[in-house]
Amino acid sequence: MTRPAIDSDRLARALRPIVGDDRISAKETDLTTYSRDMWPRLLISIREGTPLPHRAHLVVWPETVGEVAEIVRVARSQGVPIIPYGGGSGVCGGTVPVKGGIALDLKRMSAVAKIDRDDLICDVQAGANGEHFERELATRGYTFGHFPSSIYVSTVGGWVATRAAGQMSSKYGKVEDRIAGVTMVTGRGDIIDTDGLARSHRGPSWTQLLVGSEGTLGVITSARLRVSPAPELRVLRGYSFPDLIGGIEALRRIMQRGLRPAVLRLYDEFDTLMNALSGGGDRAPADIRHHHAPSPPAGAGALPRVPTQSADVEERSGLLGQIVGQLVPKDRRRGLTQSLRRELVAATLSRPRLFNNVAGPVASRGLRRGCRMIVGLEGSRVRTETEARLTFGELERAGGVDLGEEPGRRWLEHRYSVSYKMSPAFRAGAFVDTMEVASTWERLVDLYRSVRAAIAKHALVMAHLSHAYPEGCSIYFTFAGYADNQKHAEKLYDELWRSGMEAATRAGGTISHHHGVGLLKSLHMREEHRESMAILEALKASMDPDDIMNPGKLGLSAGGLS
Amino acid sequence: MTARVARAPNLGEELEAIVGHGHATDRPAHLAEVGIRAAASEPATWLVRPGSGAEIAEIVRLANRRHIPVSPVGAAARPPAALGAAEAGILVDLRRMSHVLHLDETSLVVHVQAGLSAHALEHILAPRGLSLGDFPPAILASTVGGMLSVRTPGKSSPRHGFIEEAVLGISAVLGDGRSIHTRVAPRRATGPDLARALCGSEGTLGFITSAVLRIHRRPEARFLSAHHLPDFEAALSAVHLAMREDAAPAALRVYDERQARAGLGDGAVRPGGAVLLAATAGPTDLAACDRDLIASSASALGGTPIAESFAETWWRQRTGREDSPSAALPSLQVSARPSRQAAVHRALRAAAAEAGIEVCVYASRFDPYGAVLFVTLIDPSTGEALGAQAEDAARGAIERAAEQAGAALLGAVPPALTPYFEDMRRRLDPAGIMNPRALASGSE
Ligand SMILES: Cc1cc2nc3c(=O)[nH]c(=O)nc-3n(C[C@H](O)[C@H](O)[C@H](O)COP(=O)(O)OP(=O)(O)OC[C@H]3O[C@@H](n4cnc5c(N)ncnc54)[C@H](O)[C@@H]3O)c2cc1C
Repeated sequence: MTRPAIDSDRLARALRPIVGDDRISAKETDLTTYSRDMWPRLLISIREGTPLPHRAHLVVWPETVGEVAEIVRVARSQGVPIIPYGGGSGVCGGTVPVKGGIALDLKRMSAVAKIDRDDLICDVQAGANGEHFERELATRGYTFGHFPSSIYVSTVGGWVATRAAGQMSSKYGKVEDRIAGVTMVTGRGDIIDTDGLARSHRGPSWTQLLVGSEGTLGVITSARLRVSPAPELRVLRGYSFPDLIGGIEALRRIMQRGLRPAVLRLYDEFDTLMNALSGGGDRAPADIRHHHAPSPPAGAGALPRVPTQSADVEERSGLLGQIVGQLVPKDRRRGLTQSLRRELVAATLSRPRLFNNVAGPVASRGLRRGCRMIVGLEGSRVRTETEARLTFGELERAGGVDLGEEPGRRWLEHRYSVSYKMSPAFRAGAFVDTMEVASTWERLVDLYRSVRAAIAKHALVMAHLSHAYPEGCSIYFTFAGYADNQKHAEKLYDELWRSGMEAATRAGGTISHHHGVGLLKSLHMREEHRESMAILEALKASMDPDDIMNPGKLGLSAGGLS
Repeated sequence: MTARVARAPNLGEELEAIVGHGHATDRPAHLAEVGIRAAASEPATWLVRPGSGAEIAEIVRLANRRHIPVSPVGAAARPPAALGAAEAGILVDLRRMSHVLHLDETSLVVHVQAGLSAHALEHILAPRGLSLGDFPPAILASTVGGMLSVRTPGKSSPRHGFIEEAVLGISAVLGDGRSIHTRVAPRRATGPDLARALCGSEGTLGFITSAVLRIHRRPEARFLSAHHLPDFEAALSAVHLAMREDAAPAALRVYDERQARAGLGDGAVRPGGAVLLAATAGPTDLAACDRDLIASSASALGGTPIAESFAETWWRQRTGREDSPSAALPSLQVSARPSRQAAVHRALRAAAAEAGIEVCVYASRFDPYGAVLFVTLIDPSTGEALGAQAEDAARGAIERAAEQAGAALLGAVPPALTPYFEDMRRRLDPAGIMNPRALASGSE
């Protein structure tokens, strides 16, 4: 479908009566800010100072669902795309306006409604910031139990739109497991509410058809989310396993026995090694192994203070920071010049196969570090104590060695210590990204080996498993690659992703467990869903007949990689 | 969405060519077996028993060419929704498609054909120590396809969620004869859950031919318990309190006084009182923990434990090992979320009193979103259930009262979403042949 060129002035004239002058912008800085997200491929251009490939025409900040509906109707009448924008923390290019249009920032819609004690459902508006939402719940004695690493910079709407997963998903589930209904303004401009009380309606679950739609079907304006009473008790532990397979077997046994620890994180050999080298040592002195950790402080919920941006945290954050740390003695690190840093990084990352081998299984055998696991349980006191006892018993039967409470506590403290500045890896000319795939247990080891091998040809790679289910698990690969200029880096990046995605599909896994599709995986949607894409296409055509909602995403129409 | 039916003299031959000799019939006696009244052979109704998804795809393509409706007939669990009296068209009976295609005991996942009854599947899983989960035994009477394609509340368990959430993958034939197979993953973030478009769509968007389902190990322990509470609403509150405490029971039921007497005998209940019955299951210590959480919640609301034998009686009735004395179907069912249950219960009683009748109520099918209240209307002069006519006359007012108090009537199709659903239907089934009478707006 060819569209007439977008006339920003005409569009602004039609939108002003809806939102006024203040909540609409065509400023250069706004347009640039809202035409991207945290997709690492874009970060390569940003580092190099090249202009972003696509730009929005206007940014608009609605405040009510009625305004959203009016904006959609205007956009529809003028054939202008709308790109819903939450926190912009997506890592797949989901908010990139490949055909221009309106970046619709939902952050002014952030109300958290009253929770009925018995229902344990909270109606929250889409623009609510994750941290604010969770703190608000904590003051009322609840938790949503969803703690993505991006909680400080993502929104409820973004979570719902991408099927996000938090660090405690093994107990609380992913967002799609915790949602009772959504309110959406569809691409036709109607306001719809999904799923009646206690799901009494017949017909398919509309909620599950809209969750994960990444802005392509309509604008999610609020969601009814299931909350839990804030935990009374939290218990944390570190465990060590001789190898990854042993650890995987332990995860499987725990989940299939019906136990639901909130945190289950198993690191592969390389990731375990990196962690140990960067100071997160394994062994805790026996005297600090309390039977149960103290309760989380009342009212504080499960969130730590906003992470500090100290140089040290930043230095350590990210794989590359760790490698640089290992390559240079600590006292000299600060003085290391940018160019020397670049050279060291280039030297390491240009030989990914060699380093993957040295730092992976070989190092693990040599250093006998094995694989580390962090386990955490929380909830009501009585039940959590029982569940913890059963879980630890299961881990020991599976060959795990108890490392005490300290590794768990350290993880809990540092789990949001990500830097929001450009990471040292990017500054040093490399790129860092993550790939999160999933499969049933039967295929998991195959999936791990084949995706790791596919990435390892191009980049340094490590992995952890942090979202387990009775029937399977996800694997989260972190990788770092390097090329000598932007063009080569992008080529390497695309090639890496293509072989990783193909390997995941071939091994019988899914190409994404929780980051979503965006532009990055749009081209792989046909392999992921094959003939079933017919259903997605019918859904799209019915919800958004004019293809104005976030066009070019989810494999629905030609995407716009530059 | 009506399909014009042409007289098709050789339809039977064409169908037989697809499904094989003896698997296509238009004999009234055969149709009667699946609950279809075919008084005259006009217009033609054919019953076919395909043996594979590929055959179903061919049947749907044939139906497309000839503009003939195709509708599924389920197991005898309930009469087919689309047809009471015979209507021209092809009825597809999936009974021959009753194989377990793959059992993955490592992942606890089973791939089954849609025509297998859930009961039969349980029989296959049981010797291996496996099960679909703690779902109400009543829902297991249907075929896997039927169980998944009709979405009603109550197909759920407090411990294992909704039956459709057990679906990890679906194979289906769409309205144009295309076959789809959604790929299996524990969870994914690659757009909406496409398998869920087929669950609940009652054969309109596609014909489910097989499903990949999550299964569970049989619990290490199961505990039954029974508590007497001062009244029905206190018993409901005890359930809500226990759920807040993280308890994840396998099944729960709350009887009012009359229902308790009918179901458990006179010894279970004092005047005005109610009985809370609970089954907990899982690893022994956790199942015991859940049982204790329920006991302490009941006690917090003035409850006292009563003989476990009452719970055993309930469990035997529930699992069909003992006839339930109150086997008569309830007159009406409404669902309500936890915070509305007490108000709905009061409204029901008040409306009944106004109509000069009494009610007998129990709550069951608890899940995180609510529960279903089952109500039987009682003639105060006889103490027996109202006759069918009187029941029909009284039901409306009581349902309306319940609805006003926040209950939802079962089986409505959400009108706001109907245009979207109809649009999807037209796109996936342009000839309008797929179970055309199902799921129209407001249909029951
Ligand atoms: C440091 C870091 C850590 C991360 N950790 C995690 C993690 O632990 N778990 C995880 O799942 N993800 C993680 N992510 C990815 C990202 O945070 C999630 O995808 C998040 O859900 C996106 O939310 P957002 O509000 O930022 O959405 P955005 O990036 O603004 O948007 C994401 C997509 O959703 C659409 N969208 C947003 N809001 C709406 C709406 N209201 N209606 C319709 N469509 C909408 C957008 O159009 C876009 O397609 C991380 C990202 C970073 C940078």
